Amino acid sequence: MRLFGIETEYGITRDDLEEVDPVVESMELVRAHLTASFERRWDYAGEDPHEDARGFRVSGLAQDKEEDEFAKLDAHRPFSFHEMKSDLVLPNGARFYNDHTHPEYSTPECRRLKDLLAQDRAGERIVQRAADRRNRSLGGEYVQLYKNNTDFHGHSYGCHDNYLALRSIPFPQLRAGLLPFLVSRQVIAGAGKVGIEAQESGVVPGQFQLSQRADFMETDLSVDTMHNRPILNTRDEPHADPKKYRRLHLIIGDANMCEYATALKVGTTQLVLDLIERGAAPSLELEQPVTAVKQLSRDIDLKAAVRRQNGQTITALDIQEEYYRAAERTLAGLDEESDWVLNEWGETLRLLAQDRQRLVGKLDWVTKLWLLETFMREERIGWDDPWLASLDLAYHNVDPARGLYLGLEADGKAWRMTTEADVERALSVGPSDTRGGLRGLCIRRFSEHIRSMQWERIQFTGGLMPRILEMGDLFEPADVRACAERFETADSPLDALKAWNDRKDTGS
Amino acid sequence: MTHIAMPERREGPVDPMPKQPGPSEEGGGPKRPDTGSPEKDNLLKRMRKVDPKQAERYRQRTGE
Repeated sequence: MRLFGIETEYGITRDDLEEVDPVVESMELVRAHLTASFERRWDYAGEDPHEDARGFRVSGLAQDKEEDEFAKLDAHRPFSFHEMKSDLVLPNGARFYNDHTHPEYSTPECRRLKDLLAQDRAGERIVQRAADRRNRSLGGEYVQLYKNNTDFHGHSYGCHDNYLALRSIPFPQLRAGLLPFLVSRQVIAGAGKVGIEAQESGVVPGQFQLSQRADFMETDLSVDTMHNRPILNTRDEPHADPKKYRRLHLIIGDANMCEYATALKVGTTQLVLDLIERGAAPSLELEQPVTAVKQLSRDIDLKAAVRRQNGQTITALDIQEEYYRAAERTLAGLDEESDWVLNEWGETLRLLAQDRQRLVGKLDWVTKLWLLETFMREERIGWDDPWLASLDLAYHNVDPARGLYLGLEADGKAWRMTTEADVERALSVGPSDTRGGLRGLCIRRFSEHIRSMQWERIQFTGGLMPRILEMGDLFEPADVRACAERFETADSPLDALKAWNDRKDTGS
Repeated sequence: MTHIAMPERREGPVDPMPKQPGPSEEGGGPKRPDTGSPEKDNLLKRMRKVDPKQAERYRQRTGE
């Protein structure tokens, strides 16, 4: 399996205030988690969202003007840039910080789905524990956090899934292979939403749709992420050796509460990447992908057909079926996890077509729809009742005492791959077979010796020369473990670096 | 294709929402759970506590 990870921007609000300042609330939330032992300045020097995977650099992003206006406002606040960002790197190798006025948790890089789920669930616990601390200081249960993607007033925030891919695959090949898959992926990975909205526009009630993000997709390809959002984001920030790798940065996905939906979202996407890299992806180019993604989202019966470039039409389930069959033909027997994904993918498509009731507790949109329909019958209300949007929001509340999904899970009605022990361990330890786990190890052992961090690099203090652990091409599990062994046993990070570099030099 | 279960995989009930046929539930799609089941009562209680105006008040800045 390849490397992958998820970054989640959480919605945040205060119940005790008429007007909430999201900058302050997000910052205070992250800082409520703060302990002196692991706040480290994130080095943004290596990040440039203007680089485009299509082979050029854009001069500006659609959000630049708005960002500049916010920056002017923020300049009057009594906080420094670093205080507002409140960048934390956690002992599990994750990042927790204030991004675009949302608390964001980025999992450490993972190689196995079970690790990813445990790290993603750990993120829910970490943000909620920060909210608990913040609420204790406020004297009431005021701060609420939502793992969702809309405020029902035309403002969306993201849950991005990321994959390490080979640079050698031409971008047009990625585009052709991925677009139809991503347009239809919502039948599995959609989180469900009450109503229809658009960027900066209020919600129109009366309809349930599969996806939270579909309304906010405005173009096929773009480097932008906050406006003019694309189905396939072309940001070229590999966070790895740029000659060998690219990072597929997908912004179309919803934030999932169901572990099963997260596992299939990421598992199927990486199988599709495998297909593309092998030249085995089906050729299903759609005539109007942006129209299709909205059309399919608004059809909960999964009967809508969208036009292909060859003039034929095809349903979302049939698109997924084509990809599934190609993956089964090409990738069956690859490894145990891929086979699990293949089996569950096929079964899920069958149940969506024949008996989707059995997917309650597995797929978010099916689960949310069931909850809402049950409630509507009990309360004798219709789809136009504003209560339903509030229930939609409550589904994503990560407070176990309030969240509807977490209530369902507590009742034993949700499918889980993780155990509570897995999640508890993931709060403090990252995956042992990725650089994410190695990052966490360095935080746990040598926090006081770290000068700065990036995804692919850790710079340690000490001496006149830079002391840097380069991880831009540190992906083989055996190499990661060998490096971690040095950092686990050395007396200092410099000793560990020397031992690691000596090993590389001698090839031992 | 071989059917392989993930290690340590745990599932909730095989049928998390037993189908209760009734005149108001025809036409496919998700169906209501067992009438009067404690799970349903707990969840409905939790749902009724949700402020109907919560979403109306909820405002965020655009994120990524």
